[in-house]
Amino acid sequence: MTGTLLAESLINGLITGAIYALVGAGVALIYGTMRVLNFAHGEMMMLGAYFAWMGVAVAGLPVLLAFALALIGVMIVAAVIQRAVVAPVLAREDWSFRVIAATIGLSVALQSAAQLIWGEKFNALPYFLDGVVQIGPMRLPWQRAAIPIVAFVALGLSALLLYRSRFGQMIRATAQDAEAAQAVGIPAGLVHTAVFALSAGLAAIAAIMLAPIMSVNPWMGLPYILKAFAVVILGGLGNFGGAIAAGLLLGLVESFGVMVTSSEWRDVISYGLLIAIIWVRPYGLFGGREAA
Amino acid sequence: MTEPLLALDAIDVRYGPTQVLWGVTLRVEPGEVVAVMGPNGSGKSTVLKAAMGLKGVSGGRVMFRGEDMTRRPATARPGAGMSIVLERRRLFPFMSVRENIELGAYARRLSRADLARSFDEVLALFPEIAGHLDATAARLSGGQQQMVAIARGLMGDPQLLLMDEPLLGLSPALQRHVIDLMGRINQRGVAILFNEQNAKLSFGLSHRGYLLESGRVVLEGSGVEMLDHPEVRRVYLGEEAA
Repeated sequence: MTGTLLAESLINGLITGAIYALVGAGVALIYGTMRVLNFAHGEMMMLGAYFAWMGVAVAGLPVLLAFALALIGVMIVAAVIQRAVVAPVLAREDWSFRVIAATIGLSVALQSAAQLIWGEKFNALPYFLDGVVQIGPMRLPWQRAAIPIVAFVALGLSALLLYRSRFGQMIRATAQDAEAAQAVGIPAGLVHTAVFALSAGLAAIAAIMLAPIMSVNPWMGLPYILKAFAVVILGGLGNFGGAIAAGLLLGLVESFGVMVTSSEWRDVISYGLLIAIIWVRPYGLFGGREAA
Repeated sequence: MTEPLLALDAIDVRYGPTQVLWGVTLRVEPGEVVAVMGPNGSGKSTVLKAAMGLKGVSGGRVMFRGEDMTRRPATARPGAGMSIVLERRRLFPFMSVRENIELGAYARRLSRADLARSFDEVLALFPEIAGHLDATAARLSGGQQQMVAIARGLMGDPQLLLMDEPLLGLSPALQRHVIDLMGRINQRGVAILFNEQNAKLSFGLSHRGYLLESGRVVLEGSGVEMLDHPEVRRVYLGEEAA
């Protein structure tokens, strides 16, 4: 086994792991704040990719402007969905389980809507970063190398927001006890909406970074939402930092696993890891600690 | 006649199809200590939650300082001068004790200096938690957590402090401590509305009290009157009828 192969696996693992972390951290944040497993989170990715593709390939906007608009667009859609679908169902006593059903319905509806609007054709967002970066013996296109960098900046900013700002304090208080938060005057309902939008924004960033190296299509979120759930469980339900660590771990394990086996084994390895870890640690690697 | 601080005017409350409060009318005057006493499931916690706006009312009115708060959300209360100490403490478990207490002043939007001053004033009442300010709230003992919960309530600088079962699950020594604290808080001019299952504790501590049964007020009077009432003595104090 050569050093190059190891380095390649490490970098591929970091790239995949960064995407898992971005998507998983959003799912964890939503679960941690409102105890909702959002099955429509993959569609937030899908919408992010489509919006970016529309901006760049259809409208011909400058790349950064198109991405900013896509990001804002997804966050607005998420906020509307939370207000219109999730919050009303959640507000009814003992209806929390039905929220899961509602988000599954949303997921299917959004996929179908995308199919109606944009068709079944797989679209491609052109490469928006040029050049190649040389890492030791490896040559890596910037388009791929940028993924973990962008992911860590986005996640780092989110962590700062969560742990160093007054708004983050509102989110953490709401996550830990929504009623007690309301009792001190924190508008828990608005916090829920904001968390939904923020999480969708992270998913949209993942999608925009991925769109050039895979295709934009109505079902592109599906494999990632499943991986995101694995990440959230591994990281300890609702644990933001745990989800980031678990996302990276899952990406690396998959990458090294594929290196020693073959790519057909990718999902066997990742879900096998999930089962093995839950067996030993039912609350995940970082469970039982801070929620959100 | 002066205006009551809090007036619940014939409120009805439902949980789904089940009605749990039926036309409950209650008032708290400025500076008063008022007890809501009743057996398990009589709806006394719901009275406090309805006053705070954490539970919506389906009928009647909630007035605070002459203002109709019936349709206003819970988040509007702390800024108006009402705080609640929720049943079983309900701290933010993964935050530090300091952060928990500071969040009690959330609605006041204080400057850093004012927040620190207010914090020191409140903390003076709770020397036992002064050494644990950086500890995670969940790691404290039940008694210490109750102190933090009360401190958080006081950080809102309330005129009315609602206390939902403040003595529940505490040892007799800690109960005495909390009772002593309630007296000192009241001496600062803060009115207190609390609920409690034990008649002696409820009415012995309060200026006035209400007896709640199956979601209805069945008796009200001064603390002394309540303790002397034959029904209270027979049913709740276990005394034989004279």
